[in-house]
Amino acid sequence: MSKPEENKVDQVFEHDFDGIQEFDNRLPNWWLYTLYGAVIFGVLYWMYFHTTAVGPLPEERYEMTVIQHNEEQLARMGDQELTDETLMMMAAVPARVAEGKALFQQFCTVCHLEQGQGSVGPNLTDKYWIHGPEPLTIHGTVMNGVPEKGMAAWGGQLGPKRVNDVVAFVLTLKGTEVAGKDPEGELYETEGP
Amino acid sequence: MESGAAMRTTQITYDDGITRQFLWATTLWGLVALLLGVVVATQLSFWQANFGTSWLSFGRLRPLHTNAAIFAFVGNMMFAGIYYSTQRLLKARMASDILSRINFWGWQLIIVSAALTLPMGYTQGKEYAELIWPIDIAIAVVWVVFAINFFWTIAKRNEPKLYVAIWFYIATIITIAVLHIVNSLVIPTSPVHSYSLYAGVQDALVQWWYGHNAVGFFLTTPILGIMYYFLPKAAERPVYSYRLSIVHFWALIFIYIWAGPHHLLNTALPAWTQSLGMVFSLMLWAPSWGGMLNGLLTLRGAWDKLRTEPVIKFYVVAITFYGMSTFEGPLLSIKAVNSLAHYTDWIIAHVHAGALGWNGFMAAGMIYWLVPRLYGTNLWSKRLADAHFWIGTFGLLLYVVAMWTSGINQGLFWQALDADGFLKYPDFVEGLVSARFLYHMRLIGGTLYLLGYILLIVNVVRTVASGKAVNVTVDVAVPEKEHGPGFRKLVLARPIVFTLMFTGLGVIFFYGGLIAAILALGGMLILATATYLLTGDSWGQGYHRALEGNSTAFTVLVLVAILAGGIAELIPSMIIRNEVPAISSTGELMTQKPYSPLELAGRDVYIAEGCYNCHSQMIRPLRHETLRYGEYSRLDEFIYDHPFQFGSKRTGPDLHRVGGKYPDLWHYTHMMDPRSTSPGSNMPSYAWLKDSKVSGPKLQRKLEVMRLLGVPYSDDDIASAEATMLSQGKLISDALAETGIELEPDSQMAAIIAYLQRMGRGPRPTGPEEPVAEGGLE
Repeated sequence: MSKPEENKVDQVFEHDFDGIQEFDNRLPNWWLYTLYGAVIFGVLYWMYFHTTAVGPLPEERYEMTVIQHNEEQLARMGDQELTDETLMMMAAVPARVAEGKALFQQFCTVCHLEQGQGSVGPNLTDKYWIHGPEPLTIHGTVMNGVPEKGMAAWGGQLGPKRVNDVVAFVLTLKGTEVAGKDPEGELYETEGP
Repeated sequence: MESGAAMRTTQITYDDGITRQFLWATTLWGLVALLLGVVVATQLSFWQANFGTSWLSFGRLRPLHTNAAIFAFVGNMMFAGIYYSTQRLLKARMASDILSRINFWGWQLIIVSAALTLPMGYTQGKEYAELIWPIDIAIAVVWVVFAINFFWTIAKRNEPKLYVAIWFYIATIITIAVLHIVNSLVIPTSPVHSYSLYAGVQDALVQWWYGHNAVGFFLTTPILGIMYYFLPKAAERPVYSYRLSIVHFWALIFIYIWAGPHHLLNTALPAWTQSLGMVFSLMLWAPSWGGMLNGLLTLRGAWDKLRTEPVIKFYVVAITFYGMSTFEGPLLSIKAVNSLAHYTDWIIAHVHAGALGWNGFMAAGMIYWLVPRLYGTNLWSKRLADAHFWIGTFGLLLYVVAMWTSGINQGLFWQALDADGFLKYPDFVEGLVSARFLYHMRLIGGTLYLLGYILLIVNVVRTVASGKAVNVTVDVAVPEKEHGPGFRKLVLARPIVFTLMFTGLGVIFFYGGLIAAILALGGMLILATATYLLTGDSWGQGYHRALEGNSTAFTVLVLVAILAGGIAELIPSMIIRNEVPAISSTGELMTQKPYSPLELAGRDVYIAEGCYNCHSQMIRPLRHETLRYGEYSRLDEFIYDHPFQFGSKRTGPDLHRVGGKYPDLWHYTHMMDPRSTSPGSNMPSYAWLKDSKVSGPKLQRKLEVMRLLGVPYSDDDIASAEATMLSQGKLISDALAETGIELEPDSQMAAIIAYLQRMGRGPRPTGPEEPVAEGGLE
């Protein structure tokens, strides 16, 4: 078996394997640089994120995003406060009610049915309320859910703007008295504030 | 050749019969695997194609599809190629015809038992390792038979040196044995059911160490070996570079093993393991491309054959797809890219570029080259092979492009936030519906690929009909006994000592503190420079030739190279077990309580139905995920999950915190008819769960095995398992009865509802007397 001279292009080994011969060409430089580059990147990456712990790992990065979002959200809200009144005002704005209706049909009709007459979830059109009829209470129910009753928390998935719209629409259902699920909760004769 | 005057020769007849057998099996199982692929793609496009039967549902057929493609199609193709080329490269007939036949029939038996058990719902619930424990044992036995036959043939060889293809075969045999055995360690509860020895995050790490390297050492290394034999044969050109073979072989097998954790990026897996997986995946890019280069550059001077030889066409596209996939792999392993691509169809595109492009076309090239030679005739129709090539390539591209588009679309859809910083698309199903067109494209692409493959079958059948099986007999020179360096000298040679020192310093760099890391880094630089200065550019090449003459030393070094990464990643993670916090980061009492008997039964239903094929149970620390699904998953939440069920794909939403999100009635309705609660869903109906029962006595045995695995069930828990199961089931059936639905308390439906309601939160009431039950599941 003869050894080819260094760096000679396409010098073939005499020896063959079942007729297959081999050249001994140099490794392409760009290929070597790719390999070295990846190794150097790996070393630097590791030192940045682990050895020196300067870079934020996924969970730390997540905490940072959450904080940043909260700050932005608070800034946007300004000093506006959500009250029974503001929610009732939203229920009086047709565009917002329409938004809420669309969302209600997308997410809520599964349990409360098309007109809010209830199936899995309670009837929203009668005068009986399990947690109370106040707009803020309804808002809280939609936002945070009532896990033990099977009501999902929609705050995360829909976000505050959409939750407000849904509540606005639900407020318009009150007292429409659609025949559906039997009343649950306590009777409230007078409508909320 | 160069040997002296007194050259002894001997006559050898190769066992080409075994190659023919494996080749027929390849052809047949290839058809089955592709057909199953088209079936499951149809089910994803049209849910009606699940036909409402348990054994035809997607969750059970998808594992059958993947197992058929990997182990039946590529497995048989690999055996065919190895049996054919090994005998010729070693100038020796396989050592034992009987062992070859045991290998063949044993493997087919394994495939048939897989095809019977998977649709029946007998599964271990770990991807590409679904087969139940008796089949796992059969795989290990057949693999050992193959290994004995192979190494015995090496021992009897009439060729002093081992060619590069043989190196890859050795790496395949050793590594697959290690991976399969370690990942399949279970404790049986019955002849068809078992629980993984590992739980939760550890189970996930072992599984993806296995899963990733099944790709590496079942779908890649043997096929590279096959490339190194069949490509220069077909091109009639020398291999481009011997030294590239050496460098990329060792780099590939050493680095591949470390990359497994890239399947678990941004999950509850400890961050250091994730980062190791990521950086080693990036380092894997060049070694993988080394194989592509040596393949494509071997064709220099033979490119004209691309016009006339279908075999070369298939190889060129196969190797190009190999290069594309091994670039895409490292890309997907970057945490930021992965946060977009994980759980989406992008991964489906990636694996099919590899499986259909690289494996499928390498198989086609090999078959077209081998069949005429094994039957002493010419290929029946080159034009038909050309047609296969073009139809297949077009189908493949359509498939991959559709899934790329769909995957990136899904990723962007899920993470899109509106101006207020909340989910822009809160409805998961909306994304699924928007991808429907691309799902149809995928179905068309896959069907075209299957059509092309049917042309191959026609061509094979007609070619065989025109010829007669031939067994090649050759006269080979019996080599003089070479007196190369011995085992000790080879294993303790300078390149090996250098590599071991370098690796040792590398381990210190990764696991040490700041000062240790800097010192280790300096040491590595000094070591590398010193070695370069001492030995120059061509260090180790003479040594490697000597190593190629000693198969034992070669095999031992391969074993060391592939064990390094596994040991470095798995062992520290196993030790972590004891440090797992019992209280969550948020401070609430999250002491993990074992699943109730009914919940455990429900979990087994979840596994048997293959829910993990479409649903994940791993919420990543990404804001769009916590908005959509709830608090991100932590590693301490999975300590009793034997096996883990993180999943790797979200055709449906994540389920880790689905517990308590909907009432029992919702789940019942959803299981009976998914579209009644989620319009647009492509989930099959699971109505049969209503009529299937949970077995009480079996449940007791399952609890006992779980206790053996470290889950704290008391004697009382185990003794009363059946009663507890019934009382919890009754809570569910009573609640449903109020809405007029009849459900047996011990039905599998009640069990899976109980499991889903338990997911991501603490224990649920198991009987009416429990004080916690007040206001609970009413």
